[in-house]
Amino acid sequence: MLRLRRAPAPGPGGAGGAAAAAMGLLNFTRDPVPEAVSGDMHNLNQLSAQQFSALTEILFRFLIEPKEQVERFLTQLSDFATMNKISLGPLKNIVKSILLVPNGALKRNLSSEQVRADFIALGLSEEKASYFAEQWKVNSPTLTRLAVGQTLMINQLVDMEWKFGVTAGSSELEKVGSIFLQLKLVIKKGSQMENVYIELTLPQFYSFLHEMERVKTSLESFS
Amino acid sequence: QLVSALHNLTRHVVYRGLTRAEDILSLFPENFHQNLKNLLTKIILENISAWRNEAQASQISLPRLLDMDWRVDIKTSSDSISRMAVPTCLLQLKIQEDVALCGNSPVVSALTVELSKETLDTMLEGLGRIRDQLSAVANK
Repeated sequence: MLRLRRAPAPGPGGAGGAAAAAMGLLNFTRDPVPEAVSGDMHNLNQLSAQQFSALTEILFRFLIEPKEQVERFLTQLSDFATMNKISLGPLKNIVKSILLVPNGALKRNLSSEQVRADFIALGLSEEKASYFAEQWKVNSPTLTRLAVGQTLMINQLVDMEWKFGVTAGSSELEKVGSIFLQLKLVIKKGSQMENVYIELTLPQFYSFLHEMERVKTSLESFS
Repeated sequence: QLVSALHNLTRHVVYRGLTRAEDILSLFPENFHQNLKNLLTKIILENISAWRNEAQASQISLPRLLDMDWRVDIKTSSDSISRMAVPTCLLQLKIQEDVALCGNSPVVSALTVELSKETLDTMLEGLGRIRDQLSAVANK
């Protein structure tokens, strides 16, 4: 059976979205949604518009910088809970439920219409769903870029340092006078950095440079 | 004793970088057999550049680059985004460990490194600067 992932999107999102919602099919996920979610959405509806927009802001700020800011996110959540006299536990559950949608939407490159439709399907009020969808539209380029940046890289080259000089002499040759180039490559292996030192002769350097320029041309033709 | 003496002679010639027959001839003692002296000098002169090159090749050094290969991939999907088209470069460097340490059985390792387009651009900038510095030194 055809999933209504790209519902009649060109038209007003409302019609297509409502159709998808009515059929109980969601854009952001194929799996059944946990039971708790509709209860959480109901609770969300109880918040005032101002509270909802403050909460949304906290959420998006977290999404944009998740790795470093988990502590800050949790602090902001508990501040929000205290300020609005909500208990932190239920708030965390609500937040977990809300985050399901943007995570799925990011993965599937959903439009803001589809995000809005999904929230409505889950039980959120139209007003709040539209607001969230707007925020999604504003933030999705940054979020997409972040997700692409987090894609798996094998032995990623992180940094390169170099020095070159002249070999003056050695234990076998009193006077040498040959040029050497030393490269230090910093490579990320898993979560650790490894330094690799290589020495190149001049001709090797020039052909290396030539090859790298060919790679750049190749990469550019694919962007 | 003979071999050792010959060895010392040739090493000295290579070390000093003597390239003229007179310099080599002057190393022999006064009453050395004339023809033998000339023959030895001739042989040494013939081999001197080969010996110098070999000495240079087996100098101690950091691991040396032997060869490099590359390929460009397009990443189409991942666990965080199901559809994308991101080009990336895989670079394989064949590196030979310090020749002086390995003697006759050099250890060659292959290192594969991945570069994003941004990293490649930065790297090319760095390599360009090296090239400029090299030509500045060459022109001095």
